[in-house]
Amino acid sequence: MDINFMASVILFSLIGSLISAFFSFVGKEGKQHKAIMIFLALSTGVGAVAGMFFLLSGQTQWVIFQSSWIFGAPLILQTLSALFFVLLNTVACLASIYAIQYVEQYRNIYNVKTLDSLMAIFIFGMQGVLLSATPFSFLLFWEIMSLSSFFLVMADKEIASIRAALFYLIMTHLGAGALLAGFMILSNGSFLESFTRLAFIAQQLPPQTLFGVFLLFLFGFGSKAGLVPFHVWLPEAHPQAPSHISALMSGVMLKMALYGFFVLTLTILPPIGMVASMIVIALGLLSAFFGVLYAVIERDVKRVLAFSSIENMGIIFTMVGVAFFAQSQNLIAFSHAAIGAALLFAIAHAFFKSGLFMGAGVMVHAAHTRSLEAMGGLAKRMPLFSGAMLILALSAAALPPFSAFAAEWIFIQNLVSELSAASLLVQGVFVLILTLVALVGGLALFAMIKLFGIGFLGEPRSEHVEHADVPGNLISVPIYILAGLSVVVAFCAPWVLRVIKFNDLSTADGLQSNLIASGAALNPLYLFLALVIAIAAVFVLRRFLSDVKNERPYHTWDCGQPITSGMEYTATAFSSPIRFFFRMITRSGKIVTVTPIVETNTWIASRVFSLELRQIWYDWFYVPITKIFLRASTAIRRLQNGVIQFYIALIFIALVLTLTIAI
Amino acid sequence: MNAFLLTGIQIVAVLGISPFTVGLVRMFKARLQGRHGASPFLPYITIATLLKKQMVISKSTSWVFKIVPFVVLGSTIFLVCVLPLVVFGGMFASLGHFIIIAGVLALGAVFLVMGGLESASAFGGMGASREMTLASLVEPAVITTFATFAVVTGAFTIDAMFQGAHILTSPALVPAVAALIMIALAENARYPVDNPATHLELTMVHEAMVLEYSGPYLALLEYASAIKLTIFSLLVANVLFPLTLASNLSAAAIAIALGFVVVKIVIVSFSLALLESVIAKMRFYRMHEFLTIAFFIALSGLVFALMSISL
Repeated sequence: MDINFMASVILFSLIGSLISAFFSFVGKEGKQHKAIMIFLALSTGVGAVAGMFFLLSGQTQWVIFQSSWIFGAPLILQTLSALFFVLLNTVACLASIYAIQYVEQYRNIYNVKTLDSLMAIFIFGMQGVLLSATPFSFLLFWEIMSLSSFFLVMADKEIASIRAALFYLIMTHLGAGALLAGFMILSNGSFLESFTRLAFIAQQLPPQTLFGVFLLFLFGFGSKAGLVPFHVWLPEAHPQAPSHISALMSGVMLKMALYGFFVLTLTILPPIGMVASMIVIALGLLSAFFGVLYAVIERDVKRVLAFSSIENMGIIFTMVGVAFFAQSQNLIAFSHAAIGAALLFAIAHAFFKSGLFMGAGVMVHAAHTRSLEAMGGLAKRMPLFSGAMLILALSAAALPPFSAFAAEWIFIQNLVSELSAASLLVQGVFVLILTLVALVGGLALFAMIKLFGIGFLGEPRSEHVEHADVPGNLISVPIYILAGLSVVVAFCAPWVLRVIKFNDLSTADGLQSNLIASGAALNPLYLFLALVIAIAAVFVLRRFLSDVKNERPYHTWDCGQPITSGMEYTATAFSSPIRFFFRMITRSGKIVTVTPIVETNTWIASRVFSLELRQIWYDWFYVPITKIFLRASTAIRRLQNGVIQFYIALIFIALVLTLTIAI
Repeated sequence: MNAFLLTGIQIVAVLGISPFTVGLVRMFKARLQGRHGASPFLPYITIATLLKKQMVISKSTSWVFKIVPFVVLGSTIFLVCVLPLVVFGGMFASLGHFIIIAGVLALGAVFLVMGGLESASAFGGMGASREMTLASLVEPAVITTFATFAVVTGAFTIDAMFQGAHILTSPALVPAVAALIMIALAENARYPVDNPATHLELTMVHEAMVLEYSGPYLALLEYASAIKLTIFSLLVANVLFPLTLASNLSAAAIAIALGFVVVKIVIVSFSLALLESVIAKMRFYRMHEFLTIAFFIALSGLVFALMSISL
């Protein structure tokens, strides 16, 4: 097909998002909801196909839109941005289909007109970020993305949502401010320079300035990606948004931060060096560990997923940091492999996390609450849906043979093989990373099994779940597709790596396609087949050896007295050992109040249990900062004394000071 | 073809001897405690009887409950196919990367956990929570232990690792083997982690999860745990005596290897029974100490291995 035609298809998908936003906004109150979501799904769908076409064509750059007076440099699509463009549009397309019925269910809570409009603008902003080639357009689209998602977080107009949204607004603007400052230094103030030109300017800057710029960008992108300690907004904001928006925010918006970080470090800045890479690794490991720990002990299904996103982004940033660290140690092959692993993980994460968030929407609809403690028993009521969720949860836990496992295999395989030849410092760093990644992997398993086990298995813990209906097709099919993609990405990992031009990490030859990591090869298809054949063999043998029909239903063994769902393990109880083992870190407050019922016997008592989950970063880092600011502003407020001459004097002093600094 | 036959022999041998291993441990334990004990062949009869019995399926359960036994036993059989237990260089040895082994072990564990949660009783949930804790916290020790082997031998599949790991020439492996033994105790729910002989809620982990299973499903799960015990027994023995495995298809080599399997099983079973008779089970809420010690022993092994290379 013609390149110009495909490029215009991509432009069409951009304009399509804008058109849907516009028509949704001017239309009658939510009348065209269905039509607009279908249009949005179509325009993002063709965008995904066109992006895929670009990746397969093997070309390196497409010019999408040329207009020197709007953005300076043209909008372009490159290999890296095309990969993220495909991810974004695939997830956006499925989220739009999901939204058709999902939003209908909550018609009286959301203002459908603005919700649809903002969603389209949100997608448009993210598409724009990926195509930008100048600081001006990048920041413009970045702001469109941030502001629209800010409004989306408070779509249900609850107090908690508004608080979360404001918190998000502050954090995202601190981040955007850092990006602005960083670009300002890099471009000497002219925002219409292209990124290629910025790279040229960056080579002339002294290393200290470059390091400062790097820190600014790390904060800017890190706060968007939810890296600890800039993550506190994420578990508040992501769960409050409607589920298809949460899916977009967690599955794709976090990737925009990753994309921005890649663009900056790979194409603009010169190699960032050892110290900077170690900062990235430290932030990544910290995020992975804290994210997963709270994912284990949280009891709100969407907060569990939000914390799990922090963990996943932490792992991805660790891989990226290791890539730069390896680069600074002249381990070029490993550096390349680590970036490949990070991208593969990012692809896997986009699919499984969007699917899990959409699925969480179904769970919340069934239980009428986000608390896992009120769920349970969903697997019996929605067998197909629960199967898809099981696949997504196992993918998120990075178990073989699912998608995230391939990325972890490449990473750990390389890490271990580099160990023996490396210098003492490198060995120390690698051993630390290896053990922490293993610990995080183990705990991620715990978090995901808790989510699935408590949410779907056993008896329902509330009336609502008891009468829950199977989700509609338009809601469940996108989730099935995402579960399917998680499996497909796992088999096709070698092929996926070829498409994103990491040829040294795979050999693609039909069924003989292997993943390659430092000399070792793994065929993900064979691994899957071996596991399936082993399980199928057991299944068949059992049918030969015993009578399949010889079974009867009965209630669970109850020790002689009726068993109720109140006796089941809850999410709190299930994660209690981990909470206990890590109590030095989590500092959760557990209070058991015992009130004796019979005075003569203290054992007959009613007990009230309450557990407060606290976030130490919030308590020890953000609250003190807030306090300082409040105290300072109270002190400064004394200036406001109503004397107009005094105000004029202040303005004058401020002006003089600014001018002095500027000159 | 050779590799195929070698793997076939290994599968038949391990699957055949597994119930015997469990029976043997029980018999040795009984003798050490002054009881006569049942015949070591009793588990074969138990499994055969269970296969014939009627199943009682709890009404609380869903489809997940019914796939658990197949996934658990299937993943265990996968391990038998890829690990060097009786022979080296089996057909699927190239799939035996240590990360895959750790992953498949975890896969079996999480399905067992889900089976426990399905019963909707406090027993199942308790066992599930405990097993999940052990499975997730043992992961760093597992990865570090195998990383040590990988560093010493330069290989990544367990098969190649064990062929190259000679404990006499690389003493850095001593802590790794010690860690492997601790991991084996945790993975198989033996003392001091779990008491396999009781049905008391204070102590049980594995038994609590399978409480609601009966008939053929219970047979599959019991068989899976027997195979897992055999796998770990042979792994620990093989890393100490790698020469006892067959690596070609000559009748003599196979016969010797099979003979050694029985000898190794008897010795390991006796050691396990002795260990379980002389130490007490740890409190569950002190389990992190056990796992942390296992991890640090493994880590010290890795550090020794790295030092011995750079020196």
